[in-house]
Amino acid sequence: MLIETAITEENVRIQGQDRMLEGILSYPNDGACSSALIAGPHPFLGGDMRNNVVSALLKALVPQGVVSLAFNYGGVGGSEGGPTDWPAVMSNFWKDGTFAEESDWIEDTRSAVAALRQWCDLPPLLIGYSFGCWAIVSNLQELRASAIVLISPNFKQHAFDQLSECSAPLLLIHSDSDFTCSLSEVVAWADSIREPRKRVQLAAGEHFFRGHEAKVSGTVLDFLKGHNILWTD
Amino acid sequence: MTDGRVEVLLTGASGFLGHYLLAELLAYPNVRCHVLLRSPMSASAVRLDGLLADIGLNLSALIAEKRIVPVEGGLPDSLSGVDFSGIDVVLHAAGNTTFHANGSGEPMKTNVDGTRAMLTLAADAGVDRFVYVSTAYVCGEQVGHLPEAFYPTLPPVRNDYEHSKWEAERLVWEWGGQQGVATICRPSILFGDSRTGRASAMKGLYLVAKATEILARAMDSGRETDRHQIPLRILGRSDATCNVVPIDWAARQIAGIAMKPAIESSVYHVTNPDPPTHDEIKCWLEEYFDIAGGRFSGAKWPLQDANHYEDLFYSLGNICLEYFRHGLTHESRCAASVLGGHRLLDREAFFRCMKYAQATNWCRSRSEAEVFPAPIRNVDSKWYFESFLPESVPLSVVAKVNELTAIVRYTITGSDGGSWVSRFDRGRLVETQSTPATLEPEFEYRLSCEDLADVVTCHRPLQDVFFHGSAEMFGDVERALKMVPIIGEFIKEFPVVDRECPVPVC
Ligand SMILES: NC(=O)c1ccc[n+]([C@@H]2O[C@H](COP(=O)([O-])OP(=O)(O)OC[C@H]3O[C@@H](n4cnc5c(N)ncnc54)[C@H](OP(=O)(O)O)[C@@H]3O)[C@@H](O)[C@H]2O)c1
Repeated sequence: MLIETAITEENVRIQGQDRMLEGILSYPNDGACSSALIAGPHPFLGGDMRNNVVSALLKALVPQGVVSLAFNYGGVGGSEGGPTDWPAVMSNFWKDGTFAEESDWIEDTRSAVAALRQWCDLPPLLIGYSFGCWAIVSNLQELRASAIVLISPNFKQHAFDQLSECSAPLLLIHSDSDFTCSLSEVVAWADSIREPRKRVQLAAGEHFFRGHEAKVSGTVLDFLKGHNILWTD
Repeated sequence: MTDGRVEVLLTGASGFLGHYLLAELLAYPNVRCHVLLRSPMSASAVRLDGLLADIGLNLSALIAEKRIVPVEGGLPDSLSGVDFSGIDVVLHAAGNTTFHANGSGEPMKTNVDGTRAMLTLAADAGVDRFVYVSTAYVCGEQVGHLPEAFYPTLPPVRNDYEHSKWEAERLVWEWGGQQGVATICRPSILFGDSRTGRASAMKGLYLVAKATEILARAMDSGRETDRHQIPLRILGRSDATCNVVPIDWAARQIAGIAMKPAIESSVYHVTNPDPPTHDEIKCWLEEYFDIAGGRFSGAKWPLQDANHYEDLFYSLGNICLEYFRHGLTHESRCAASVLGGHRLLDREAFFRCMKYAQATNWCRSRSEAEVFPAPIRNVDSKWYFESFLPESVPLSVVAKVNELTAIVRYTITGSDGGSWVSRFDRGRLVETQSTPATLEPEFEYRLSCEDLADVVTCHRPLQDVFFHGSAEMFGDVERALKMVPIIGEFIKEFPVVDRECPVPVC
């Protein structure tokens, strides 16, 4: 059955650990088959919940019956928080790409999943894009996921050891020309992570998939249908 | 003149001088002001409303009371809707203050062609009094005691702006000989309000002050040198003077001159009879910003062997020192209005102006941004990269991002575009070259003129233009991305708020 249905998009507030976060909750009006949390790129690298890949995923998933939540990490857009000594934080980030309080954004991701669970009790599909991959994988111990989708993870910057702690179906999408790693590196890394997994390489999307967003979301939908997470036609 | 009422047609009312002139004219109870506002009039009126509100006037109420009559028009070609009949005095203060012709036809178009058009329409309508706001620096490089008289031949002017003001004076003077009474007012450099320190535009001497603040900030962030022994060469003579006048005083003089009946054409210097010297201004700035060490030097601009502090200080360019002049005084009837022993600009008034400048982030506060709600479509990229960034980055939070060392290229596509390469060193914007540049960029942003306007006016974040739009990043994309939030923070702090990009002015 193909779901052709009206969709509601709500701006929601999410209670974080010690701050309120803003999010977009989008859902079909006529029933749902799954839920999804979409964690976006690094806030210091232009990441917000209106990012092109995040928006494309929301647009593709919801008509297929997936209650979907995207959110802004603390300090981004209308979410509370963020660095206090901004120049010092930016200096460090410029130097080595690190931010001591990145773990707060991991917390934010956990809070967003908890909020999603309150709105929809179907097991969530966890989708991370770029930094968002690390944000969801870091929470896997505590989150029971129906499936995991990692889009352009920056595995050279962050550790993904916790992937082995979850046996949910795993999809890895990467482009053939990502500034964060060479093609051979991502292939080797994908081979090293646990089964079951599926790796899909997209041509010419770079890290950002500008103009290729539909390919990304189409790949995600095919994968979910293959695992009976979405209703099939 | 009907029933004792004086009908004044004022141009330039939405400018720094013009809105003060309007306030001064309205202080004459029998005056009604017809103010020329550029199209779209609604946007000009919003700006004028904001400027007048700042000095305690209510535009809507004054329009309702028929004390102000807004008239839509622009110089030189869009004056057909302006009715000159019944006008008693034209006070022509609109002007283009671009120093050097840049291919747009300015400053000649507005200053010369615009004045010619105003004079023709005034003559056709039988207006018999025309007051023109020129500049004291129409004298060019002349020195000595300058008389309040028209210069019959072109003085040794230093730029296109001065040239255009002299050409306009010539037209006005000729009109005076044939059509009516012409009055030329020549104010010197306009500075903040002597009572409040307020200024709605900050150029000229303000740039020197801003450069001093840049030095002081560098000292705040803990450089090794003692802040009271900064090795800075100040290019110029300590006894040269800077002829600045407070905007409120200048406006009162000009309005008074315009309202005074006149039977023959004449010239007035609206200048400071006791202007501060280089040395006084240096002392005031050192005291205000709590730094010292600068010494006057005969070295020539540009400095070939500039040290770190000189690099910082002169990062705003040759900060208008050419208007500090030695051996120049002005005959001035206005000087009589200055009470003996009272100085038009003293230490206290100067400090008030500095306080106001800092409080409004050198006239770029967010509240001002709200005065310009409509998107600006015409940000001049050359001005943005070559003037605005070098002036503003040192005062911004970017200057505190100590690890920021990078060479960046910005390529702006479209008819007003171009390409610039900037080098940042420990947060400092050290240099910007227009291409062809010798600097080798590590990464590049490429965006259209329209996107640039959206971004620098805070109407759209840079990442949005990149992720959803047509902007591109090249080279070391990771560093380009990392710089995006830094640029974003800078733009929030220093949005472009002028309806048109300002250009340096005397
Ligand atoms: N600032 C100084 O230190 C200084 C010193 C000596 C003499 N002056 C003279 O004083 C006058 C005013 O200067 P300012 O500093 O007040 O300049 P400003 O703030 O730039 O204001 C210029 C005014 O002229 C109007 N204008 C410019 N071009 C125009 C055009 N083509 N058609 C119609 N209106 C136009 C502007 O209208 P919009 O608001 O629509 O742009 C604005 O109202 C000028 O004639 C200048 O030469 C200035």
